[in-house]
Amino acid sequence: MADLPIKPTSTNGGSKLTDVLNVIYESISDLNVQLPAERRIDKSPASVLFGEGGTLDSLGLSNFIVITEQKLQEFFGFSVDLTDDDPFSPTTGHFRTVHSLASYVCELAEKRSAGAL
Amino acid sequence: MKLQLISDFNLETLQRYLVNDASSPKLSVTSAPFGQVFPALLQPATTDHSDFALVWTSPEKIVPAFAAALDQTAVDENRMMSELRQFADVLLHAKQHFRSIFVVSWTLPPHQRGNGILSLKGQGIRKLLLKMNLALAEELENSGSIYLLDGQRWMESIGNSYSPKMWYLTKAPFQAEVFRRAGAEVKAAISAVLGESKKLVVVDLDNTLWGGVVGDVGWGGLRLGGHDYRGEAFVDFQRALKSLQNRGILLAIASRNEESVALEALAKHPEMLLRPSDFAAWRINWNDKAANIAELVAELNLGLQSVVFIDDNPVERARVREALPEVFVPEWPEDKTLYASSLLEMSCFDSPYVTGEDASRHHMYAAEKEREQLRRIVSSADEWLLSLETEVTVEELNDTNRVRAVQLLNKTNQMNLSTRRLTELELQAWQQQNQRKLWVFRVKDKFGDSGLTGILSLEIESNTARIVDFVLSCRVMGRKVEQAMVAFAAQYCSGLRLREMHADYLPTEKNKPCFGFWMSSGFSYDEKENRFTWLLDQVYGFPRGIQIDISDGLKSDTVYPNETVSSSTNPAGHRGI
Repeated sequence: MADLPIKPTSTNGGSKLTDVLNVIYESISDLNVQLPAERRIDKSPASVLFGEGGTLDSLGLSNFIVITEQKLQEFFGFSVDLTDDDPFSPTTGHFRTVHSLASYVCELAEKRSAGAL
Repeated sequence: MKLQLISDFNLETLQRYLVNDASSPKLSVTSAPFGQVFPALLQPATTDHSDFALVWTSPEKIVPAFAAALDQTAVDENRMMSELRQFADVLLHAKQHFRSIFVVSWTLPPHQRGNGILSLKGQGIRKLLLKMNLALAEELENSGSIYLLDGQRWMESIGNSYSPKMWYLTKAPFQAEVFRRAGAEVKAAISAVLGESKKLVVVDLDNTLWGGVVGDVGWGGLRLGGHDYRGEAFVDFQRALKSLQNRGILLAIASRNEESVALEALAKHPEMLLRPSDFAAWRINWNDKAANIAELVAELNLGLQSVVFIDDNPVERARVREALPEVFVPEWPEDKTLYASSLLEMSCFDSPYVTGEDASRHHMYAAEKEREQLRRIVSSADEWLLSLETEVTVEELNDTNRVRAVQLLNKTNQMNLSTRRLTELELQAWQQQNQRKLWVFRVKDKFGDSGLTGILSLEIESNTARIVDFVLSCRVMGRKVEQAMVAFAAQYCSGLRLREMHADYLPTEKNKPCFGFWMSSGFSYDEKENRFTWLLDQVYGFPRGIQIDISDGLKSDTVYPNETVSSSTNPAGHRGI
């Protein structure tokens, strides 16, 4: 799978989006242990997580959400709720791919920084 | 190997970890519908007795009276215990359907504070839960094949083990890491029941057993004990090794050192907890460690798959891993203060039983060293065997020897004809059938008592006896105990006027020594059938110099013609005990 272009948003040696992607990749590593080899998720922004073409069922997505929330809390120092918008709804887009999830997390973090959350 | 998961919450995450884990034992896993604990135990989907079951429940669902405690209302403790016993009775009933059942002890999430400072008083929820777990352990104490696993330890080893979000999303109360840990623990439990536990720890010395290089600083300069955090950590590591030894695990040394210098340190350092007599064998020299370990294993009559190698040096670890892939070489922490805890948390030593023989195993190996010294000074193997004054005692399987017999049956690989693996109940049931006989053999000599070390079982059909199990511990292999066991069985069969006795050899990767014995046994060998046969119109002689003692229980059995053994075949004769 080809990587999507990631545009740096900070100058602290990397971007927030890159940092969040790395956190998500750690979660993918943890999750892959419970998946059969043919269904393991590539650590790539373009990897489809949930929905058409994705490899996660609802239990897999639930595990992924809880693992990722815990890692994000360790990274940011505050809790992040990834289920505020129903993650299982077909109209919810942020669990579609790794990249869409990372962007969503960055949005949440920015809102939190701005005092909106 | 099959495992059934039975729970009142969703265990599918655990199932996924287990089926996607390629490590041994590889498991095929099924889940009963969650919430159907009692029906799944009373009428399991399988009738295959080889299955294992894991039963993991919530205390308030199995014991409704306990739910009242969570609601902070008065608890009827009699009712609580009655409900608990009902659960225990169902488990005891279900053991007929499964090879072994693992039950996870009950836990509560840390956010469940109950009544705070009164939690361990009166009817505080933590106190009630402790009572319930203890009562359940007592109810299952003598169940044989049911094991209560310590769920609390799993939770404590993981931060944030409970996850309310997981509960609401999936009806599983724990985060995924708990299930991953549980999967490893369940596999360790199954390995233990299958007799795959490790039997020998080979340790390095410098910076592993003590701090510093003894060849450079001398034993007086080692960091060991004293008012030194690192020295204390090495003593604690030695204490952890000693605790393994008390469970029957043997210790050995593979070290690059001058032997005399290293042994002097072991013998003379005042804070050394492990002395030379604690080690069953050692190779202290400048040779390749992998070659040294292979020699140690051969000397101790063990298989490489029974060995754990611990060394602080990653290069040595990599070398042994590469040269001896069957040896388990754990990654070892850089931080010396983690040595003891790293050893104590290893699950590969778990065993379903601890017997008297386990606790004194290292003494038996010390006696073996003395035998070897004698072997060097006597002129022939026969003379050496005669000088040992070996006594073999024969008993039928009974309540006092069954635990050790099952342990021996399930752990012995090398001198094992058919490598049957059975639980206590299965062995008892097998033996109770007509036309079957099972004897156990205890061996001692002038150097010490090796304990219950042999099993021979027979199945008789028409005028033929088939040897089903022929098992001998590696501790006493090669001392003609094998021939004594066969001679005893042959004499029993002659007393029944049977025509022939045969042994069907079932080859495994590890039981070639057994094949070697049978090839030299005097039995005729049919290569096509892998069958050894003895015609009972000939006497199968007892080996010279071995005294056979027959226990009282056997003496009453009229088919033991002990008076027929001639002094030429058995100079020591039979002697009842």
